[in-house]
Amino acid sequence: MNYHEEIIDYMHDYLDEDIKPEHKEALRDHLHTCAECRDYFHEMKKAVALVQSTSHIKAPDDFTSRVMAQLPKETKTTGAKR
Amino acid sequence: MDALIKERINQVLKGDHNAFGEIVELYKDKVFQICFRMLGNRQEAEDLAQEAFVRAFVNIRSFNIQMKFSTWLYRIATNLCIDRLRKKKPDYYLDAEVSGTEGLNMYSQIASDMAKPEDEVESLELQETIQVEIMKLPEKYRSVIVLKYIEELSLKEISEILDLPVGTVKTRIHRGREALRKQLRHL
Repeated sequence: MNYHEEIIDYMHDYLDEDIKPEHKEALRDHLHTCAECRDYFHEMKKAVALVQSTSHIKAPDDFTSRVMAQLPKETKTTGAKR
Repeated sequence: MDALIKERINQVLKGDHNAFGEIVELYKDKVFQICFRMLGNRQEAEDLAQEAFVRAFVNIRSFNIQMKFSTWLYRIATNLCIDRLRKKKPDYYLDAEVSGTEGLNMYSQIASDMAKPEDEVESLELQETIQVEIMKLPEKYRSVIVLKYIEELSLKEISEILDLPVGTVKTRIHRGREALRKQLRHL
């Protein structure tokens, strides 16, 4: 276990798409030579991919009508109560 | 999209309630998704997502038309979720029975939403595992991870939604990502 903290910072910057070109080059060069950091980077990208893979859940069919039923009426005295 | 939303907002401001329905239709899945990923419970997510829209409607006059509507709406939803999480202990996990539904937990509720039966089983289990891991994140990391990776928002938008400096958002994303790396590496 020999992770390189500076390199890990670059990994985050890379994943944020906010990495300086020279850091990107340093990251690439380092990953070529360091298996630990390579594994680390792989695990990080895998975690991100797994989290992204969850993103398809839909609101129930009656969602909009239920919201609309809860909106207060025009006249303030008849404020809708659920 | 933005022009359409602005037109609908103007109609709502003039007293046309139905125009708000179109706004709800456009954003309901996104808002529901934020609430579900934050809270991990469908029923609660639905309640809070509806509450978010009701609040948006009631406060529509305070919306600054120069701003992106989704940013404002997501801020309302995220704040509701954060308030809810802070008020209660994190007791809503997948195994918890949904109140008022005998023997029905979230597994079966998710399952009923999925169309394809056979090849979905494995991915369904994976989905549940990932949600459990997301729920293990402290709320301040969970919110940035949900906004970044599930809603696919930029750091700037996330900073506006959470009212935090971009640097803080970045730090939290890094910490959240580190935590998820450790939690998900063995999958």
